[in-house]
Amino acid sequence: MDELLQALVQGFFVGSAYGLLALGMGLVYGVSGIVNFAHGDFVSLGMYLCFAFFTAFALDPYVSVVFTVPIMIALGALVYRFLIKPIAGRQLLMVIQLTLGVALLIQNGLMMVFGGQPTRAPSMIESKLFLVGDVVIRGAHLVACVVSFALAILLYVMLQSTDTGRAIRAVQQEPRAAALMGVDVGRVQVMTFAIGVGVLAIAAALLLPGLPIQPTQGLRFTVITLLVFVLGGMTNFVAIMLGGIVIGVAEAIGTIYMTHTLGQLLPYLIFVAIMLFRPQGLVWRS
Amino acid sequence: MLEMQGVTAGYDGVPVLRDVSVNVARGELVGLLGANNAGKSTLINVVSGTVPIMSGRLMFEGEDISKTSAQDRVELGLVQVPEGRLVFPQMSVRENLLLGGYNRKARPARAGNMDHVISLFPRLGERLGQLAGTLSGGEQQMVAIGRGMMAGARVLMLDEPSLGLSPLFVQFIFEIIDKLHAEGMTILLVEQNLSLTVRHADRCYVLERGVVAVEGASAAVAEDPRTRAAYLGM
Repeated sequence: MDELLQALVQGFFVGSAYGLLALGMGLVYGVSGIVNFAHGDFVSLGMYLCFAFFTAFALDPYVSVVFTVPIMIALGALVYRFLIKPIAGRQLLMVIQLTLGVALLIQNGLMMVFGGQPTRAPSMIESKLFLVGDVVIRGAHLVACVVSFALAILLYVMLQSTDTGRAIRAVQQEPRAAALMGVDVGRVQVMTFAIGVGVLAIAAALLLPGLPIQPTQGLRFTVITLLVFVLGGMTNFVAIMLGGIVIGVAEAIGTIYMTHTLGQLLPYLIFVAIMLFRPQGLVWRS
Repeated sequence: MLEMQGVTAGYDGVPVLRDVSVNVARGELVGLLGANNAGKSTLINVVSGTVPIMSGRLMFEGEDISKTSAQDRVELGLVQVPEGRLVFPQMSVRENLLLGGYNRKARPARAGNMDHVISLFPRLGERLGQLAGTLSGGEQQMVAIGRGMMAGARVLMLDEPSLGLSPLFVQFIFEIIDKLHAEGMTILLVEQNLSLTVRHADRCYVLERGVVAVEGASAAVAEDPRTRAAYLGM
């Protein structure tokens, strides 16, 4: 029983960060119709940026986020403007190939700069533990959960009730009309991609404490993000956060109750099961 | 106020409009008629800046705006209400209208413009919270026109506003057009419906395969045999 509670709490916390990863993907998909297969590698890059700031200036990942977010936003804008935009709207496969290419570039770039050895960027709170009843809560997980939800709510409010947010949704729903109302559609697309990548810089710092990092880990994050993104019905914010928690809990239960390999398989099994019965994802509204 | 001088324009280097000259004076209601594929929508897309000009000039209030970006033209007050309405289906009526007032110049005037739109379309006032995608075609047309007014339109370009509407709504939309006209709005009205348009417009142009076939006062255009020929493609 205690183990189950432990798994649920831990899964919920980590899952909220997965939800945040998928929100970035959902935002970009909604506006540009692009599924970014380099998504996880941008997370990876965010983590290595934190690592670089740690080795150079002994900065805690929670602090260096102040620098990594703007760097990643700028990078996202450049990647969209000069790589994705020229081929956006053409064959879907071309865009997929391109983002896969970006993924390989990031992986090998990281390998060249940081080497292939797993490494870590320690944080001051990664060893902090709280005991609530019999449940152990890791400080880093708590921070990840609180920040993820706060960011999700912030993004939601931004989309719902600011001019920028309305412009983003307008481009999502009817780009031609948006352009006729004076919205610079190209700029909105660059901006959402940049925001989507910027969010990953934050997610990277949230997931980093206690996690050994290596250059080839990106694909794992991409796959987790894709699971959550599809579970959430691709654009529904609430369902995406919920999807994150489902995958996070599945992962935690798998790790605690099952042997290593089988446990890692559990999120995918649950994903397949949900997709079989609810192919539209976890959205309740038609 | 708006003057198209010998404009040739089209898509991918293939001209749709050839040497077209059209002018619209301040406060005028000008009808743009023609059969399908005559180039009517292309013409207002040229004014909106979404179709590039190959040769000729587009003047607005004495300034050459041929090279002005589509966004800047909206700010100048050249606003198109597109064919098929193209409302934002997953946004409420209110949000659709607010997005209409997105451009920098229109933003400060949004509250006042919103009141004006609602006074013209009380029905929208009752449905501000409803998603635009769930409205009837006629109501969506109201949203589309209201959205254009919110953008601070000084020249309102309506692309086939009666398309696909019930006769009752068509009549209502034309009453609204008359009302806007009476308030002093400059209107360029693209229509296929000849008899309805000549009854409401001050002047008309008839396009035939990308060139102006007939132009003049509405009554004269209606009676000109070339108008009929343009429609029948003779």
